[in-house]
Amino acid sequence: MYSTGRAPQLRIGTQDLKCKRGCGFYGNAQFDGLCSKCFRERNDERKRQKASASSSSLVLTSTGGTMERISPQNLLGRPHQKNKQERDKQQPQGSSDVAQTLQKKKSIVPTVLQKTLQVGAQKLTPQKHYVPDPTENQFMLQLRQLGIPDDGKRKLKKEIQRLDLEIKRYMNSTANSNNKNIDELSEMVQNAYTRFADLVHSDPSFQIVSNEDRDSAIDFFEKVVMTQNHKFLFSPYFTADEENDAKVQKRIRQLSWITAKHLDCSIDEVNAESRDLVYNAISELVGIDSYYSPQEKLECTVRCCRHIFELLKRATGGPASADDFLPALIFVVLKANPVRLHSNLNFVTRFTNAARVMSGEGGYYFTNLCSAIAFIENLNGESLNISCEEFDALMSGEKPYSTPWESALLACESLHLISENMKRMELLKKRNMVITTGISEFERELIEFQSEVTRKVDTVYAKAPLTLLPIKTPAFLISQARAQLNHSSDDAAALISSGHYQSNLLNAIDVKDVSCTDKAKSQPTLLAPDERYADAAHTLALKDVSISSAGHLSPLHTTLPQPDQLFASPIFNYGPFDAVSLLEESSDNTDVLMLGTEFQGGLTNINYDFDLSDKSGENSVADDSNVNLDEFDPLAQQQEQLRTLKVEAQSAMTSGILDSTTDSSASLIDSDLPPPTGILLPSPLKPEVSNYRGFSNFDIPSISCNTGDFSSLGQDVNESTSSDVGVVAKK
Amino acid sequence: MSSRRLREGPILNFKAVLMGEGCVGKTSLVLRYMEDKFNAQHLSTLQAAFVTKKVTLPDERRAQLNIWDTAGQERYHALGPIYYRGSDGALLVYDITDHDSFLKVKSWVRELKQMRGSEIVLIIVGNKTDLEEQRAVVYDTATQYARTVGAQYMETSAKDNEGVSEVFELLTQLMIEHHHGKQEDEPNSLRLQSGVTTSSARALVVGPLDDADPATMLDRGPAASAHRSCCGI
Repeated sequence: MYSTGRAPQLRIGTQDLKCKRGCGFYGNAQFDGLCSKCFRERNDERKRQKASASSSSLVLTSTGGTMERISPQNLLGRPHQKNKQERDKQQPQGSSDVAQTLQKKKSIVPTVLQKTLQVGAQKLTPQKHYVPDPTENQFMLQLRQLGIPDDGKRKLKKEIQRLDLEIKRYMNSTANSNNKNIDELSEMVQNAYTRFADLVHSDPSFQIVSNEDRDSAIDFFEKVVMTQNHKFLFSPYFTADEENDAKVQKRIRQLSWITAKHLDCSIDEVNAESRDLVYNAISELVGIDSYYSPQEKLECTVRCCRHIFELLKRATGGPASADDFLPALIFVVLKANPVRLHSNLNFVTRFTNAARVMSGEGGYYFTNLCSAIAFIENLNGESLNISCEEFDALMSGEKPYSTPWESALLACESLHLISENMKRMELLKKRNMVITTGISEFERELIEFQSEVTRKVDTVYAKAPLTLLPIKTPAFLISQARAQLNHSSDDAAALISSGHYQSNLLNAIDVKDVSCTDKAKSQPTLLAPDERYADAAHTLALKDVSISSAGHLSPLHTTLPQPDQLFASPIFNYGPFDAVSLLEESSDNTDVLMLGTEFQGGLTNINYDFDLSDKSGENSVADDSNVNLDEFDPLAQQQEQLRTLKVEAQSAMTSGILDSTTDSSASLIDSDLPPPTGILLPSPLKPEVSNYRGFSNFDIPSISCNTGDFSSLGQDVNESTSSDVGVVAKK
Repeated sequence: MSSRRLREGPILNFKAVLMGEGCVGKTSLVLRYMEDKFNAQHLSTLQAAFVTKKVTLPDERRAQLNIWDTAGQERYHALGPIYYRGSDGALLVYDITDHDSFLKVKSWVRELKQMRGSEIVLIIVGNKTDLEEQRAVVYDTATQYARTVGAQYMETSAKDNEGVSEVFELLTQLMIEHHHGKQEDEPNSLRLQSGVTTSSARALVVGPLDDADPATMLDRGPAASAHRSCCGI
């Protein structure tokens, strides 16, 4: 960036080596940067053009050659061509001539350039015809904008012309050519100002004009006259201004060793920020010379001084007084070393409206500038707090010196480079930071995503643990387990304690067992006391719950309770488990237990449902189940409800139970009312293995089962069970 | 802006220079008067070197007061004439706890008298009355001196805001009176005054300043003014 911005390129890019016509071949400097083919073509073309238009072929060659595809590097590398081009442009040509060359150019120059050239020519043409003085135009415009009546404007114009004439006459008069006096001239101008001011304030044509407009009219008068006569009045040959300029310039150069410390001023020469402000002040100070009218020069001075005050305010922390300001101004003047300093100051002093120099901000700053220069011209060792010997040594150059300002200037280039690099480094650092934060953010997101996925997977696992069930449990294992279970009811207890599902399950098993035992020894159970029945009843309810929960039974259990269908367990419709369980139906309670232990979670309930079919074992631990059930809250509540329910509906129940005890399938068959769903409770003895569609499908057949199932326990039970389904599903 | 307006308009434009050694409180005085603030840190103004204020006296007379601060350091002492040329008044400030600053005021008064004669209104201001216990210049001494040179004497405290506005009001009043007095004496005095300033400024700038010889300037000034007054209006 740095190198490309400043130094001309030493390396030539491939683009510049290629033919300028862009044909892809390499060009040759001898052929004006064209390849041989294009060069020949161009020459032929030119010959033809020469034949057709005989005039100004020179212009054509020069412009035609350079107008083509010029890259910035080309311009840099071939300054002479650029200059030539500019010269051509500057060459005074008749508009017809321009048009002619344009015609010729059209054939060579690409179409894009043709347009711009045409536009350029159109712009160029009027300028050639009418050459107005830009400042004159500006003044005409300003005159129009002045807030004075036309009558006053005419008077203003007349006064301007009058003073203009006076000055010119004075300057051109040969009579007093040897004793021209700048003071006379100054007085003449000042008197003209006074005269005009009187006129503005007393003339009837200015009667209605506001004071501000009067002032601006006076300023305008001064500005116009001074701008037009700047060349005569600025540093006239009969004054010593020029010599003084040179003297001051030399003096300031000699005093280049002066530092801010010498002047006792608070400018920090090394601080980059204050240096910038000093540079601003210096550029304004130097700029004074570039303005024509004393007014503008004063304005420029004011701007310069404002920069200095800004600088001082930063340095001192408060509004600066003259004690700080004057040294700073002297420092700036010393470091700026403005050209034609004396001429400028004298020009302003002589030819500006005297009142302006004497009052107002501009006057104050200008006075300070004058005193700064007076100080510079007269300073000695004493005024810089150094000994006279040292001062002399420094002035004569005997004593070497180094000022922070100068060394900073010398170091400027490298400092610039350093600061540029620093900026770039900072930028890179910022970018790096962005990238780093982005990376960490991304990393965090990744981890989050991962954990989220894990969590989701876990929840899904928890909801529906995928467990491969052994479709068939080896018979010997089943028998073993059963044996174990039969032997120790402790096992069951242990299982119960392991969790709700299992407790449910086991309770149900137990109940089943009870029912089974009832079945087996029908009479004794029937003879059992009422409590017993109640227990049985609520175990039934429990069973219902578990069934519904297990199968996620469909919400189709709207059917009315059918006490007769109590034990028409729909579970037998279920696929695999049915198959398994049914196979060992008569014998294994253990199988169910095993399944229960193995498969914890929702699906295991299904297993438990098989137990309904089990009619083996006689661990009728109804009491135990009661205790266990208490820990399962919703169910326990339900139990309470159920219990009351059951007691009420006992009579019906008993009959139902009695029915069911014989055979679950039989209950369905025996039922007085057919199941409302109408369809099919297939015989548990003939499990529909074909119905098995994996776990996902197992609630399809459940539709039919529900009806039969819930009928056993009244509407309330149905509702509660459905709610329980939700609970279980959640789990 | 023009002299004509100054004469006819309701607002007179006066220029007063503020002189005094460094650290006597010139800036504080000005800032206290302009913004009624003492601590420079809280000020909104960029600078205190050149301030301008419209002053209305108790008797409804109004004037525009331009106060030009000058550098107080000894090394810039010689530049004084450049500032106080064309001024209508001068405030000479010293620190009542610092006798040297009072001596400095004395030297300025001498210079001003030499350069401007009676054309300038002088007010000697003893600042920092809040440090009464450290006073080094006795009040009577200062008053006596002021009387001998035809100047007014006042004491102020910029810190406690005592007598600050009074000083500037007195200055304005004196300048207005002086101005009117001059007008009565000589109708063209104002024009004459500006003529003096122009020519003396020229003298100062064109040639290298030679402050060792103020007498020549003094000679030059009236000469130029006389010259200007005859061709002025």
